Amino acid sequence: MIEFKNVNKWFDKLHVLNDINLKIPKGEVLVICGPSGSGKSTLIRCINRLEKIQQGQIIVNDTPVHDKSTNLTKLRAEIGFVFQQFHLYPHMTVLQNVMLAPVNVKKLPKAKAEKIALEKLEQVGLTEKSAAYPAQLSGGQQQRVAIARGLVMSPEIMLFDEPTSALDPEMIGEVLDVMVNLVSEGMTMCVVTHEMGFAKKVADRVLFMDEGKIVEIGNPTDFFDNPQTDRAAEFISKILTH
Amino acid sequence: MLVDFNFRVILEYLPLFLTGLRSTFFIAVVSIILALITGIIACSCRISGIKIIKYPAIAYIEIVRSTPLLVQIYFLYFGLPTLGLRIPEIQTGILALMLNSGAYIAEIIRAGINSVDEGQIEAGVSSGLNYVQRMRLIILPQALGVTVPPLLGQNIVLVKDSALLSLISVMELTRCGQTMTSERFMPAEAFLTVAFFYMCIYFCLKALADWSQRKLIFREAY
Ligand SMILES: Nc1ncnc2c1ncn2[C@@H]1O[C@H](COP(=O)(O)OP(=O)(O)OP(=O)(O)O)[C@@H](O)[C@H]1O
Ligand SMILES: [Mg+2]
Repeated sequence: MIEFKNVNKWFDKLHVLNDINLKIPKGEVLVICGPSGSGKSTLIRCINRLEKIQQGQIIVNDTPVHDKSTNLTKLRAEIGFVFQQFHLYPHMTVLQNVMLAPVNVKKLPKAKAEKIALEKLEQVGLTEKSAAYPAQLSGGQQQRVAIARGLVMSPEIMLFDEPTSALDPEMIGEVLDVMVNLVSEGMTMCVVTHEMGFAKKVADRVLFMDEGKIVEIGNPTDFFDNPQTDRAAEFISKILTH
Repeated sequence: MLVDFNFRVILEYLPLFLTGLRSTFFIAVVSIILALITGIIACSCRISGIKIIKYPAIAYIEIVRSTPLLVQIYFLYFGLPTLGLRIPEIQTGILALMLNSGAYIAEIIRAGINSVDEGQIEAGVSSGLNYVQRMRLIILPQALGVTVPPLLGQNIVLVKDSALLSLISVMELTRCGQTMTSERFMPAEAFLTVAFFYMCIYFCLKALADWSQRKLIFREAY
């Protein structure tokens, strides 16, 4: 479903992605963790080409993402992206936020788009907030709207970049619940997160990155209980004491 | 003092002042429209990634902003004819005001566009919206609110700047004051009247600015 082949990326001299090789099969839930600045965000941002790569190839559903000829609109419609800071459009209501892409990218008629948008809002438990503006919602609610906005294009892949890091602790649960539900629907997911509970519960594999390299990758119990490298062990003890 | 203030002469010169007012109004309206167009084009070039249109736009904006308007007017009025380009005063004046305000307007629009959070643009990109859609649906509606009040402010500046055109003998409001002064030697009456008309224009534009502030500024809902 997603494949990285010898991917290298630099920001000027900084080697952010160092020879990444990775295969993420359909339906897999991959949790990505690692210290700050290790390249986690960059890794998933390359998947829908929010970032360019300088070497190698990323293939999503047989489409080479970084080819000039790739139809980016179509590709991006198949990939939902959820940001740490939600990034809802503040001048639109919740419903308008969610409907924007179906109406303008998929060119669905308004009524149809609205129906789908309301279904997705129901899925994240926010039907009654559809007429509200983002600023009227709590952080957790905003993030759930952002998830609905990603889901509304019926993507096959959802990418999450630290979806709960900007949230007050009491709101983390509601967002994780929505994500766990997605897992049970068989969504392919890449989740950058330090939520160990989530990783242990639903992740098929955990990927540990440091300095642009994949240091370890394996199933969550092995990774957390029995890390193979000192760096991973040190990192796990740090997030545990947090 | 005030007892010497001669209202009769003002009445006598009223027709002249009204033509001056009309001329100032005409110059202002035409210049504002042209300046808006210039500003939008300059801003589009300024924010584009294409170097051969980006750098000339930067040069234009910086040259205008770093030099006095009077120098720009004199350059166009005295300089252009020596370079073989001869245009009437009023057109020269409008050209000067257009180029001058256009540069400021370009920066006002750019500030409005930049005020929209980069993350929202990335959210738009991720859902497959193209550049034009992102501009139209995400950036411009939010930029408009923060752009319109300073734009109207710039228009007020432009109206007052148009007084400088009296120095290249454009028959506008200030020039009428000068005419009356030289004919009757009553500068107090002349320039108070001139000031009064500028104030009228100012308050009209200000009312428009305040109204737009209330109507157009997008406030995050509470
Ligand atoms: N646009 C950019 N230009 C230059 N350097 C960048 C840019 N984006 C990220 N970097 C740098 O690349 C490195 C990796 O960044 P990245 O955001 O992928 O890290 P991360 O693992 O997501 O970190 P965090 O946990 O803090 O989010 C960092 O050192 C960062 O400073
Ligand atoms: Mg990050």
